Amino acid sequence: MHDALVSKSGYHKEIDQALDDDFLRRTLDTFAVSYRANREAVFKDVDEKGLIKKIADAKDYACQHMEELYSKFKAEAEKRGVHVHRAKDAAEANRNIADIAKQNNVKRIVKSKSMTAEEIHLNTALEKEGLIVDETDLGEWIIQLRHEGPSHMVMPAIHLSRYQVADDFTKVTGEKQDTDIQRLVKVARVQLRRKFIAADMGISGCNFAIAENGAVTTVTNEGNARMVTTLPRVHVVLAGLDKLITKLEEVLDAVQVLPRNATAQRLTSYFTLMCGAGQCQAEGNDNGRKIMHVVFLDNGRTEIAKDPLFKQIFRCVRCGACANVCPVFRLVGGHKMGYVYIGSIGLILTYFFHGHDRARILCQNCIGCESCANVCSGGIELPRLTREIRARLNAEEGSPIEGTLMSAVMKNRKMFHNLMKFASFSTKPFTGGTQFIRHLPMAVLGKHGYKALPALASKPFRDKWSQIAPHVQNPKFRVALFAGCAQDFIYPEQLEAAVKVLAAKGVAVDFPMEQTCCGLPLEMMGQRKTSIDVANQNMAAFRGGNYDYIVTLCASCASHLKFGYSEILDGTASMLEAQSFGAKIIDFSSFVHDVLGLKPEDFNKSAQKVTYHASCHLCRKLNVHEAPRELIADAAEYVPCEEEEVCCGFGGTYSAKFPEISAQILNKKLDHVKETGASRLVVDCPGCVMQLRGGAEKRGMQVKVDHIAQLLAENLK
Amino acid sequence: MTPQELVEAFSAKAQAVNAVVQEVPTMAAALQYVVDVCANKAPAEILADEPGTEKGPLGPNKQPTRVQKIVAAPQLAEEDFALLAKSCEEKGFLCLREGVRKYLSGIDVGVGLAELGVAASGTCLCNTDNEDVRLSGMISEISILLLKKSTIYPDLPSIADKLRDRMGHGEPTYTTFITGPSRTADIERVAAVGVHGPLELHIILLED
Ligand code: SF4
Ligand code: SF4
Repeated sequence: MHDALVSKSGYHKEIDQALDDDFLRRTLDTFAVSYRANREAVFKDVDEKGLIKKIADAKDYACQHMEELYSKFKAEAEKRGVHVHRAKDAAEANRNIADIAKQNNVKRIVKSKSMTAEEIHLNTALEKEGLIVDETDLGEWIIQLRHEGPSHMVMPAIHLSRYQVADDFTKVTGEKQDTDIQRLVKVARVQLRRKFIAADMGISGCNFAIAENGAVTTVTNEGNARMVTTLPRVHVVLAGLDKLITKLEEVLDAVQVLPRNATAQRLTSYFTLMCGAGQCQAEGNDNGRKIMHVVFLDNGRTEIAKDPLFKQIFRCVRCGACANVCPVFRLVGGHKMGYVYIGSIGLILTYFFHGHDRARILCQNCIGCESCANVCSGGIELPRLTREIRARLNAEEGSPIEGTLMSAVMKNRKMFHNLMKFASFSTKPFTGGTQFIRHLPMAVLGKHGYKALPALASKPFRDKWSQIAPHVQNPKFRVALFAGCAQDFIYPEQLEAAVKVLAAKGVAVDFPMEQTCCGLPLEMMGQRKTSIDVANQNMAAFRGGNYDYIVTLCASCASHLKFGYSEILDGTASMLEAQSFGAKIIDFSSFVHDVLGLKPEDFNKSAQKVTYHASCHLCRKLNVHEAPRELIADAAEYVPCEEEEVCCGFGGTYSAKFPEISAQILNKKLDHVKETGASRLVVDCPGCVMQLRGGAEKRGMQVKVDHIAQLLAENLK
Repeated sequence: MTPQELVEAFSAKAQAVNAVVQEVPTMAAALQYVVDVCANKAPAEILADEPGTEKGPLGPNKQPTRVQKIVAAPQLAEEDFALLAKSCEEKGFLCLREGVRKYLSGIDVGVGLAELGVAASGTCLCNTDNEDVRLSGMISEISILLLKKSTIYPDLPSIADKLRDRMGHGEPTYTTFITGPSRTADIERVAAVGVHGPLELHIILLED
C-alpha cells in the first residue's frame, strides 16, 4: 500500500511525480471529458435530482435506524440459512473471516471487489493466516499483482497503461504477453477461471443489504461477483453497517443512479440479488446448499451515525463520481487523492478510518469547486464536510501558523483593513505602475511564479465610496453592495463598473462601511471560530438597512454569504438571521438579468469577441447558468469556450497551498480560452479574474480578462 | 408505452450495450436459432484442466478447444428440451440439462429463460436460483436468453412488486439482472467484452 501521506513534503513530492506522469495525465484528461458528456446523456432519461433525493432520504432513514435494520436483516437472512456476524472493528472482522475459512477447511479464496475489504486490509490479514487470496475483478487483480492499492473506487487500475499490465501478466503467466488490450483481458479470463474453479471460498462486497428480506446485492460488469458467489462452496459477504437499507424499492432507485454515475451506464452488465443461502452443488457441501456468511463491519460507523453533520457520509454508494468530476483528481490521480477510499469522499473517510495524520494532509487538497457535490449519488455536501474536517483537526490538534495568523488579523476588521492599505503602499515599488507585481524576485515566488500576482489598488473601493456614491431619484430597488476583499482592495474598478450599471438603471446603491471579508478563506483554513466572528460582523453591518437585495460581484462570497453562514451558524442564536440575510444575497449577473431585466436594447452591442468562464460557485452553488451568457451576448459577440464550467484552479487559499496543481488547471483553462479566438474573457468573480488574468499575462496572451460588470458598463446605452 | 413501443425501446437499449436481439415467431424457431448459433461459432476454449475431455487445436487464447461442443439449457420445459437435445444430437453437440458444474472450464452456449425484461436499460431479469441455470449463463461463451415480449416492463420501479414476491417467501433465491455481455474497461478505459462471463449475449424475443 502506498503511503506518501505521512509528511507534507512527501505528499508534494508525490504530487509532482503524478503531474509529470504523461500517461496518467492523458488518461484522466480524456476520461474527464468523455465521462462528462456520457454521464449527461444517460441521465437524460431519468429524473436525476429526484432520484438523488430519494437515495439521500432512504440512506438517512437507514442511518438513523441502523440497529433496527440490522436486527431485521439478521432475522430474515437467518431464516434463509445465512449466518450473520457483526464486527466492531477491522481486527475483529478480519478474525471472523479467517475463522470462517478455518472452520470450513478453506485453502483458496477468490474475491470480488469490496472497498470495505480494502478499508480493513483483509487480504493482508488472510494471507498472514496462510490463505491464498486472489482478486478477480480485472483491475483489482492487476493492482494485487503489483502490490498497490486502488486508484479509483470503480476503476482501480486507471493509473496503469497496457504496457505495465502486459509486463505484469508476462510475469504471472511466465509467457511473453502482447500489449493488445483485448488479448490482455482474455489472459485474465483464462488465469482467473482457474482460480474460480480451485477456490473453496468466495468473498464479495455488497452494495446494499436489504433489511426486509435479508438479501445482499452486487453490481458488476465483468460478472466476477456472480462467479465468486456461485462457484466456491463457501460465500462470505463483507458489508459496512452503512450498506443496510430498508426495502427493495430503495435499491431499485439507487441502481438507476449508481451505474450512471460510476461509468455512465444505464445499468451494469450484472446486478445480482442474493437472498439466502441458495443451491450449491460443489463437492463438500453435503446438503447441496451454499455455506453463506454475512459479516457486518462497524469500525466506527455507529459513532459516525450519531454525528449530526457527518452522518450524511452514509449516503455514499461508492459510485466514484466525486472523483470522476474532480479537477484535482483529474490531475494527480487517486493515489494522491485518498488513502483507501478515493476522491472527494476519500478525503473525508480517511479522517474516520485511516488516521488523522493522513487526513490532515489529504483534506487540504480540495479546491472547493463543488463539482463533486453537484453529482454525488447521495447528495452529500462533500466540500463542506472537507472544510469541516479542517476545522475539527484544527480544534483537536491546533492549527498551522498561517491559519492562526490569518485569524488573528481577520478578527479585527480595522486592523485587517489597515494592513491591506499598508500592503498596498509597501508593494508599490514592485508594480512598475501596472496592475501586476512584476519585480518580486522569483525566489520569493517559488512555485507561485506561474501567474503574475496582482498589485493592490492605490485606493480601495471603501475610500472612494463617498465620492462615487450615486444619487438615484425614485429608485426601483434599494440594494447594498457586498464588496469582498479582492474587489475592495485589488479591483475597485469592477465595483465602480457595477455601480455605474445599477445607478443608470434606477437602482439605489449603498455600501455599508462595517462590512469585512466574507470569511470563506478562514473556512478554507479551518478557522471556524474567527469565521463565525466575521459572519456576525457582516450581518451586523447590513442590519437595519432594509435593502431589497444585497448584491455581490464575487461568486464565492455570494455562495458563502448565502449558504455558508447558515451552515456555520446552525444551532446558534444567529441562525435565523443568517437565513434571512442569505435570502437577500444575489450575484450581480442574476440581479441585472433576472431582477432588473436588462435586454439587448439596453446595450450598444459591440463586435468584440468575448468568451466566458463560469465560476465554480456561480454555476454549481448558486446554479446560475443562463444570465451571464445572455448578458454577454447582449453586449458583445459571445463565443462559448470548451469546458466553460470547469474550475480555473484558483480556489482562494488553495492556489497558495497547491500552486503546482492550481497552475496546471489554469493552463488547461487558458488553452481552451485561446482556442476560442476571443479577445476578451469575462467572469463573475474577482478570484477567477486574478487567476486568469495573472495566467494570461504570464503567457503573454492577447486576451483581456475582466469582470462581466466591466463589459456591461462599457457597452451600456 | 404500448406493447410495441416497449419491445422497440427494449431492443434499442439492449443493442446499445452490444446484445444481439432477435425476434422469432415460435419456440421451435428459437431452438433452431440456438442450434445455428452453436453450429456457427468456433468451438469453446477449455480454460482449465478437465480430465477425460477430448481436446482440439488451440483457440485464440492459446487454450485447447472442445472437440464436442456443449449447449446447456437447464431451464427449458421438458418437451422443448427434448426438441433441442434432438437437434443438438444431429449436429454432434452435447446438450445438458444438469451437471453443468462438470464443465466449468467453459461451454459453448448457455440457454436461459428471462422472467421479464426492462425496457429502460435493455435488461433481462433471470431467475437463477438453480445452480445449473446460473452456471450456464456464466461459463458459456455465448449466452442466449429467451424473453416473452409480453413480459417487458418500462423500468425498474415498475417491476418492484414482482421482484419482492420472488424474494419474500423465506426460501433462498438468487436473482440476476443481465444487461449485455460481460464487459470491462479496466485497462486504459478501453471497452472489452467477455472478461469472465459470456463473450456474446443474444436475446430472443418470443411472441406469446
Ligand atoms: S470540491 Fe472540487 S476540488 Fe474539492 S473534492 Fe470536490 S470536486 Fe474535488
Ligand atoms: S460520495 Fe457521492 S459521488 Fe462520491 S462515491 Fe459516494 S455516492 Fe458517489
